[in-house]
This record gives sequence, structure tokens and C-alpha cells, in this order.
Amino acid sequence: MRDRVAIAGIGWTELSKNSGVSTLTLACRAILAALEDAGIGADEVDGLATHRVGDSVLPPVLAHSLGIRDLRWHLDTFGGGSASHAIVGQAALALDAGLSDTVVCYRAINARSEFRMGGIGRPLVDAVETQYQAPYGYFVPPQQFAMAARAHMLRWGTTHEQLGAVAVAQRAHAVHNERAQQRRPITLDDYLASRWVVEPFRLFDCCLETDGAVALVLVRADRARDLRRRPVLIRAATWGGGFTLYSNEQPDPTTTAAAAMAKRLWSQAGLGPADVDVAELYDCFTYTVLVQLEDYGFCKKGEGGPYAASGATRLGGSLPVNTHGGFLCEGYVHGLNHVCEAVSQLRGDAGARQVEGAEVALSTSQPGYVSGTTSALVLRRGP
Amino acid sequence: MSAAAPPKPLPYPDRDSLPFWQGLREGELRVQRCLGCRALRWPPRAVCNRCRRLEAEWVALSGRGRVVSWVRTHQVFAPAWRDDVPFDVVTVALDEQEDLQLIGRLDGAPARGDLRVRARFVRVDAEHTLLHWEPAP
Repeated sequence: MRDRVAIAGIGWTELSKNSGVSTLTLACRAILAALEDAGIGADEVDGLATHRVGDSVLPPVLAHSLGIRDLRWHLDTFGGGSASHAIVGQAALALDAGLSDTVVCYRAINARSEFRMGGIGRPLVDAVETQYQAPYGYFVPPQQFAMAARAHMLRWGTTHEQLGAVAVAQRAHAVHNERAQQRRPITLDDYLASRWVVEPFRLFDCCLETDGAVALVLVRADRARDLRRRPVLIRAATWGGGFTLYSNEQPDPTTTAAAAMAKRLWSQAGLGPADVDVAELYDCFTYTVLVQLEDYGFCKKGEGGPYAASGATRLGGSLPVNTHGGFLCEGYVHGLNHVCEAVSQLRGDAGARQVEGAEVALSTSQPGYVSGTTSALVLRRGP
Repeated sequence: MSAAAPPKPLPYPDRDSLPFWQGLREGELRVQRCLGCRALRWPPRAVCNRCRRLEAEWVALSGRGRVVSWVRTHQVFAPAWRDDVPFDVVTVALDEQEDLQLIGRLDGAPARGDLRVRARFVRVDAEHTLLHWEPAP
């Protein structure tokens, strides 16, 4: 599959705390924007893929709305952020196999005004582990990820200041992103003064629950060459995992499902961490950036904190991470907005936050907490 | 003075976990042991994923272990915990097998890594008992 499928268009809606519209409306707006970006008509779309946790619009409903008469391929994955990059990989497989010619991957979510993560405003997601947790008041992502972050602090000596370095760096990046909802720079002192949410997480460790949608248009690489925009090639796509972090096969939460999967990802890409020019790492919380720096091989296990605190992940550093500000500052669209930012960077379209000469990008999904699974893409600037 | 906080959700056992919840009601921490390879496992489920044997028995453990991680919740995520914040939830590795790790509320002391704890069986009503933890002497 290497380099045989391209991302030809990307589109967003406004990201906000209250869209005032349905997820169907959000999805349509983002998809039409992405098709416009690609220079492809809606009539040509014959594949749709999304992921959701019971909070969004289904592909057949969207097909009806967009007037797609023959939906040749569709995918509706039940899953949160860990599935976000897998749907892009699966769409690439469908295209490469000739099952579809034009696939749109989308995620539409009213994650602030309608269905907040963790069951606020609706019933809890039905997972077998919920019964062992919810009665103790432990049922929202800030708690689940804080538990992993604390384990990392206890085992590897990771500090609050190192978590804070992630928040400060990403806010500095968001200054240059007009879509970002939080663009005022912060200092480490601002971070340390922000209120506790769930120790060890403060307010600035947490992403922004967001209303919005993003969409990507995928076609085979040979066709992408003749379209409006410089294509971005899917160099490698992997997904995997299996053990949830609440089962006794995975007792150490400081190593995620991404550690095992990353070996396959680099092998499939024929590239390694040293080849990556820019990385968009799933950042529902600051901590997931640190653990992924380790598990994708940018530094040794336990050294994610010092690596981030060194400034390496800032624009101008050796590995700029979350150049749009990430979910912490741009907004939480559950994963695919990281792919969109990687595409912008590889096209050379990222304006003041552009990583000069970026040719290879890593974009990742939630590394496997709660769900046990993860997914990632290596993308490359096309011809 | 505001009204009392709404009730907290109760455990909802499934067909695999009923003996665990029954154990708590009877003052015991019970987990499954594979009848093939004798490994203890958590959470309850149908098959041993080491030897794939379907048969298992329920055994009572000491209820003692060590805190391997913890969180302190300050924000009120649902009204039922309005009067509880801040509160500590711990992950406990059980003495019998390090990779058996259970989550529960900690009472009686602030959480910290490596804190030695023992199970507390907190009765909610005739049908429901919860697993809390407290410092072990």
C-alpha cells in the first residue's frame, strides 16, 4: 500500500464551544470544504468512513444528505480517538483494492454542547470495565489518563514541570493557528497556577472539549497528481492492540499499545523516528504526548518528560510536535484534526507555524488507554 | 443549604462478574483461577488467555496489596460526587499476583505510591457492596 493512496483534500468547520447545529450539519460543512479543497465534486464520492462513540452521524445518512447514489464502500467504526487513524488506513486499503475511487473520512462531534466524554449528558459508554470503576466516581477520561500519568511519575520520575512543558509549547504553536480556540501564550508559571482537575492534571493538561468537524478526501496516488493540491501520500498505516489497561495482561500503564505497533509502522514505512520532520501526537492530555515520544521511539522509555522539557518538540526544535496547538489549544475533534495539520505541514501550507522543508510526518491516535487499541499514519509529501 | 447530592450509580454485575460482587457482599475479595494453568485473572471472563482453558474456579484472596497509581479528583464531573471532592481513587496491585490490579476508593489516608492497603467492604444496601481500600497496619 506504500505511497499508493493520497490525501487530496482537507476541510474543517469552525471549532467552538457551541456549534448550534447538528453533527449532520457539521459533517456536511466539513466534507464540502474538503471536496472544494481537493477540486472534486460531491457526485464523485463513493466511499465514506467515520468513527464515533454513539455521538455522530452515520455514513448512510450522510450519503443521503449529499446525494450520493451508490455508496460503494463505507465504514462506521465504534471507537474513540484510538480508531481515528485506523479509519484512514482502512479507507486507503479500500481505495488500493479498487473497492472505491473517492473516499471521504470524517469526524463530526458536538463534544462540548451535546455529548461530553465520560457520560456527561448521556449514559456511560458500555464497557465491561465500567462496573468496576463508575461506582467509585471514576468514569471520565481526565481520571483514566491521570491514573496512567501518575504511574509514569512514580515509575520514571516524570514531573509536573515536564507535563507543563507540553502545554506551554503547544500554546506557543497555537498563537500561529487561526483555528485554535486558545491562542494566548502561557508560561510554566501560568500552567502551575492553573486549577486542579484530577491530580496530577491541572486545567492546562486537558484538551478542549469542542464542537466541530473535519474531513479528508482520499484518492489513489496516480489520480491525485492531476488534482488541485499537492498530494500527501500515505506512506504507512497501522492499527493494533488488544489488551485493555484494566486487564491483568497489561499491568504497566507506562507502556502503551503504540509501543508494539510502532515497530510495524516503521517497518511498513521503511522509515524510522529519525526521518520524521513533524509529529502530530494525540494529546487528549499532555501526558499522552510524553508517553508517545517514548513508544514511537523518539527517546528511551521514561525519558519523554526530559525530552519535552528540552524544547525539542517546539517549532524550531529537532521534532516539532502538535504544530497547530493540538487538542489542548486548537480543539478536540477526536483525532482527524491531527491528520489535517500533518497534511498542511507537508503541503507547505502552514503559514507562520510551517516546519521548513517538512517531508515526512507522523500522526497518531490515542495510544491505547481505555480502549486497548491504537492506530497511526506516516505521511509523505507527494510529487 | 442545598439539597442532598443525587445517589451514586450502583454496580451492575454482568453474567461473568456476579460471583465477584457476591463475594464483596460476603466480605471476600474473589477472583477467578484457571483450572488449567492455575493463573489468577482479572477482570472476570470466560476463558484463560494463557492456556485457553474454559474452566475456572473462584478463590478468595487476602485483600491486601500496594498502591501502584492514584488520582485525586477535584472537579465535580457528576452531581452525585458534589459533596465528595476532593477524593482519591487508587489502583492496587494485589499481593497474590502483581499483575492483578483493581481500582477503588481509598479511605483513611491520603494516597501515595507504594502505600500498603487492605480491602474494605462498604455496604450500600442489601444488594450492593463496594470495594474500598484503607491503609493496612
